Amino acid sequence: MTASTTALAPEAVPGTRKRRGSDLFVKFNLLIVFLALCVVATLLAPEFLTTRNMANLLQQSSLTGIVAIGMTLVILTAGIDLSVGSTAAFGGMTVALLIDKDMNFVLAIAVSLAIGAFFGAVMGGLSAYLTLPAFMTTLAGLTAIRGLTYLLTNGEPAGGDIPEAFQLLGGGFLGYVPIVGIIFVAVTVIAALVLRGTTFGEYVYAVGSNKEAARLSGLPVRAVITAVFAISGALSALAGVLLTSRLTIGQPTAFNGLELDAIAAVVLGGTNLFGGRGGVFGTFIAVLLLSVLRNLCNLLGLGSFFQMVVTGVILVVALILNMVIEKRGARA
Amino acid sequence: MTTEAETPRLTMSNIVKRFPGTVASDGAELSVRRGEVHCLLGENGAGKSTLMKILAGSYQPDEGEILLDGQRVVLNSPQAGLAAGIAVIYQELDLVPDLSVAQNLLLGHAPATGPIVRKQKRLELARAAITRVGGDFPVTATVRDLPIAAQQLTAIAKALTSDARVIVMDEPSATLGENDLLKVFEVIRSLVAEGRSIIYISHRMDEVMEIGDRATVLRDGRTVGVYDVARTGPEQLVAAMIGQERELVQSTERPRPEGEVLLEVERVRIPGVIDIAGIDVRAGEIVGLAGLGGAGRTTLLKSLFGDIKAARTVRLDGASLRVASPAAAVRAGLALVPESRKEQGLMLGLSVARNAAVTALGRPPWLLPRRIGKARTAPVLDDLGVRFASPDQPVGKLSGGNQQKVVLAKWITRGGVRVLLLDEPTRGLDVGAKADLYRQVRQLADDGVAVLLASSELNELTANADTIWVLHEGRNVAHFDPRTTPETTIAHTVITGVTP
Repeated sequence: MTASTTALAPEAVPGTRKRRGSDLFVKFNLLIVFLALCVVATLLAPEFLTTRNMANLLQQSSLTGIVAIGMTLVILTAGIDLSVGSTAAFGGMTVALLIDKDMNFVLAIAVSLAIGAFFGAVMGGLSAYLTLPAFMTTLAGLTAIRGLTYLLTNGEPAGGDIPEAFQLLGGGFLGYVPIVGIIFVAVTVIAALVLRGTTFGEYVYAVGSNKEAARLSGLPVRAVITAVFAISGALSALAGVLLTSRLTIGQPTAFNGLELDAIAAVVLGGTNLFGGRGGVFGTFIAVLLLSVLRNLCNLLGLGSFFQMVVTGVILVVALILNMVIEKRGARA
Repeated sequence: MTTEAETPRLTMSNIVKRFPGTVASDGAELSVRRGEVHCLLGENGAGKSTLMKILAGSYQPDEGEILLDGQRVVLNSPQAGLAAGIAVIYQELDLVPDLSVAQNLLLGHAPATGPIVRKQKRLELARAAITRVGGDFPVTATVRDLPIAAQQLTAIAKALTSDARVIVMDEPSATLGENDLLKVFEVIRSLVAEGRSIIYISHRMDEVMEIGDRATVLRDGRTVGVYDVARTGPEQLVAAMIGQERELVQSTERPRPEGEVLLEVERVRIPGVIDIAGIDVRAGEIVGLAGLGGAGRTTLLKSLFGDIKAARTVRLDGASLRVASPAAAVRAGLALVPESRKEQGLMLGLSVARNAAVTALGRPPWLLPRRIGKARTAPVLDDLGVRFASPDQPVGKLSGGNQQKVVLAKWITRGGVRVLLLDEPTRGLDVGAKADLYRQVRQLADDGVAVLLASSELNELTANADTIWVLHEGRNVAHFDPRTTPETTIAHTVITGVTP
């Protein structure tokens, strides 16, 4: 007995190590691609790896990133939220208007996030309790909330006297690091902790993996779905608040097409569109990857038309890569 | 030896079909004449549907041959079956609900000039086909909007458009009312008069007596006899289906549980679906629910679990049990092992540990679910003897038996289960896995859980249940003590709804 186990041991170890190596690649393939892209970018454009460019890059990607984190939660439950752009614009406008009406800006932010959460909860609730497809309820939300945003000021930008402390939130830096970047990182970390470390997070995966089984296991499926949409709504409003803070003005036309950028990042980050698999870490990297790509095109002097094409191609390649890796994983 | 007066329309001989772990068809024989209604009879799992799927070309037999009008045919796809002139009308009619009757009838072979459908011609053809089966509804109607009888006629008419020589009808009465069924019978008679052959599958003896010319009885994948219906009584057919001597799987040696009545099902009623009254389950008792498919077993369990709305008068431990949702049922101490473990029981993409822990997370602490889940599930999974490489392995990669154990583990991990509802828990499991599962269920019963066990496998019920209730067409018609009742008596009641 002992002889055979010791005889087996030396063989078993390299095998597991090898598997662990390929596992690591599978798990972190996106990170590896991201780092490789950064190396290429540095070689092609020396200005890429400057603190200023880095800070710029983080600032540009953070708002989409925060929204994409909320979108990740929604997609993990096999839902989709098309209304994020409109909710973000509404959030940005309300915070500007409330501050303009001399409300304390902390309170104004809270109100604006609460409204975002409320919008999300309504759309998610309609889809959960009346079994309407989330695609449709949030598509309705996309137009209705955008309309509401325009109605607030009849389409005019809002705001004027914005306190400096509030401006720091969206435009300020801590050393070289933009504060919005710190917020993006914080949101990602909190979302990761919630997903991995709380019962609610576990329910999100269970609901996305098999709604019927989750229901028959006695899980509060409808409440979970409503909650992820509320979170997505609140995070969208947060993105709007941060934009208002940076521009010192509320823009009702802001964030058009944000939902597509967010969904692209989530999918590129390896979260399954049919729910149950994925996480916020992948989304985080994917957001950065997409904005590095855009940044690189800028530095190389390629126009935005070219950027759109490259982004589309990258998305398709990433999806194919994910599928190949998943298939191989299934075979192993 | 008399000379064969005519070649049979269809001969299936020595058909063998094996599935992993079971032999679904074990040398079955079927011979159908021209212009006859041939009934195919047998209990659940006797091999009727396997034989018909082989005839339709959906399954390939491992052995045996099929002759159509004396010619050997190889039916290696449903298309081949249709081309050979075999049409199967399934219980869940395979019509496209959002298309019109005419579109459905000529789906795939609509009259056309080049790429353009000749709509007028299609309507004419469709009208002719519907008239032929005695239908009086417009062919432009959308199938979804038609009553079920009209849909059934449409399905028959569709079978005729492909000029089928053999038409298989799988339990048409399961979805039809009395009058509609008579209409379908008329159509069957006219088809037979044209020389077509009908294979009619049904559980109901009165229908067989009325419409059948001959009947083939299957049991355990074998043909046990071919009968001339006019010269055979229903009792004789039922006896053939059940088989007289049946070996018992090992029977329980448990003493009869004498605990208090824990679950009292005074009445559960859904008008037109089920009306079940007076089933009591003691703590520690396993009550079996026997019945044909559609007898109401699943509906009863789902109603008790709050998943289907029903008028319920149910008491748990003397107190009225009100459950508006599965979540409420779980809180009240009910647990369900659903009919389909892949669709309803498990999150296939998630790990073994996460599946087994998911029901237990609804109570504090609310943090670190994966670590806590793993710690809580490890002893349960170990106790159930679940074989897996790692608790992080996706549950979808386990064998059926191990998956089912994980479904059970889900409830044991949660704890506090007082009533366990099991719906066909051993479907697709091999013998060893079945024995393991029942051992676990008995252990739970011994710990004081009241168990309701629905199964189509009568021998499993007689071996494991303390009491067996028979459900028939939505009602509980009789109950038996399996220790003192011959299994044939129960089987007879299951089929006919009447105790012999």
